[in-house]
Amino acid sequence: MNNLIEFFKNNFHHLVAAVLLIICFVMIGHSMSYNRYKIARICQSITMPVEKSWGKLLRQFNLSKENEQLVQQNMDLLRERDNMYLIKEDTTLTQMSETDSVHTTRTRMYDYTYAHVTFSTTDKPFNYIIIDKGSKDGIERDMAVLSPSGVVGVVNDVSKNFSSIIPIPHLDTRISAVIPSISQVGTLVWDGNDPGVAFLKDVPQHLEINIGDSVLTSGYSTIYPKGVLIGTVKEVSTKQNATFLTIRVKLASDFKNLDMVYVVKNLYRSEIDSLKANFKNE
Amino acid sequence: MNNILSNIIRCTIALLLQIFICNYIHLFGYLTPAIYLFALFLLPLDIPKSAQYLIAFVLGFIVDMFMHTLGVNAAACIILMFARPYIIHLLNGRKTTESNDIPTPAYKDFRWLLGFVFILSFVHQATFVMLETFSFHHFGRTLVVILGNTVLTTAIILSIEYLFYSQSQRA
Repeated sequence: MNNLIEFFKNNFHHLVAAVLLIICFVMIGHSMSYNRYKIARICQSITMPVEKSWGKLLRQFNLSKENEQLVQQNMDLLRERDNMYLIKEDTTLTQMSETDSVHTTRTRMYDYTYAHVTFSTTDKPFNYIIIDKGSKDGIERDMAVLSPSGVVGVVNDVSKNFSSIIPIPHLDTRISAVIPSISQVGTLVWDGNDPGVAFLKDVPQHLEINIGDSVLTSGYSTIYPKGVLIGTVKEVSTKQNATFLTIRVKLASDFKNLDMVYVVKNLYRSEIDSLKANFKNE
Repeated sequence: MNNILSNIIRCTIALLLQIFICNYIHLFGYLTPAIYLFALFLLPLDIPKSAQYLIAFVLGFIVDMFMHTLGVNAAACIILMFARPYIIHLLNGRKTTESNDIPTPAYKDFRWLLGFVFILSFVHQATFVMLETFSFHHFGRTLVVILGNTVLTTAIILSIEYLFYSQSQRA
């Protein structure tokens, strides 16, 4: 008997090790079975809150990567919008006689890429924005630049890796804009004061314009696609002896906090411009 | 008393490092270092063996909870604890084993430490990875993971030891 007690005393630690190992193996065995097991559920209730908050913190590090993916996805969606396409009805006589229904074709007219703003000014009369893509990435002069919230401006100059942009807050800005609620086209200009506000000219006085009406691009130029938001009507005033209204437009893009912009290419630009070139107006 | 406190602090720091940092490391997709082992390596040899096993079990179990591998780390830790005195004996060679052998740079040379940390990490990782996969399919991959994890763990633990334990702490 004494021997036995002595034996247990000397080998107690082995016993402990064996018991603990058995516990481990029981747990492992349980976790292998498919029905949910009790121990794991209790453990998860302890670890869950820690993992959740820590995971939240760790996710911050991936935000820029995630953002990049979202931009890419967004761009793919934007490319599929109708105003990116030239939609034509095939109304040639031969086809009309063959089928009654009007057949339409969609041809891609605009294509997107994106860039990041590296430098921008808003306090000058001739403001400019520099983006981190250039001729290497296929950027060309007179491409439209949009932000996620609205129109930004037009590409002015292109170097190998960078491009400069004339934003709407620039005294030379002329954008053909439309107020869809009255289907009236006007010209958007900037007066050199507030970088968040531009003016819509050439809208006749007899038209009823509500504050908050949206102002979109008309699509009459070869630069901007049709129907992109420029801003909203902020204030309408009439000057004496003037035939046109003075419309203050609150710009949709926040020019002080631009980061990511889309650059839009008109695939038919040279074709349209070659037609225009025959009229020597300028 | 001081010794116990320093051990508790060491275990806590090791656990926090493991749970909050190392568990999120997946080098090349599947290598995760087990740096909490350095708390087990530095556990004094003169405390009761059953207590050593219990500490190993608790540490392994807590790590398991956060790795969602219930029991696997704990089992590996117990086997590590079981192997530890034999490895020390092996490395000491002819020399008699002192009861308070401390495996830090202050008392042992680099080759001894490298062997100690590498072999014990290997024992732990072999048990851990084999139990976790629990199959001999893709055995080559399992071996690569075991070896990769062992090398990674050894490198990190040795640098920790040389950074923080090079000075003599025997009071």
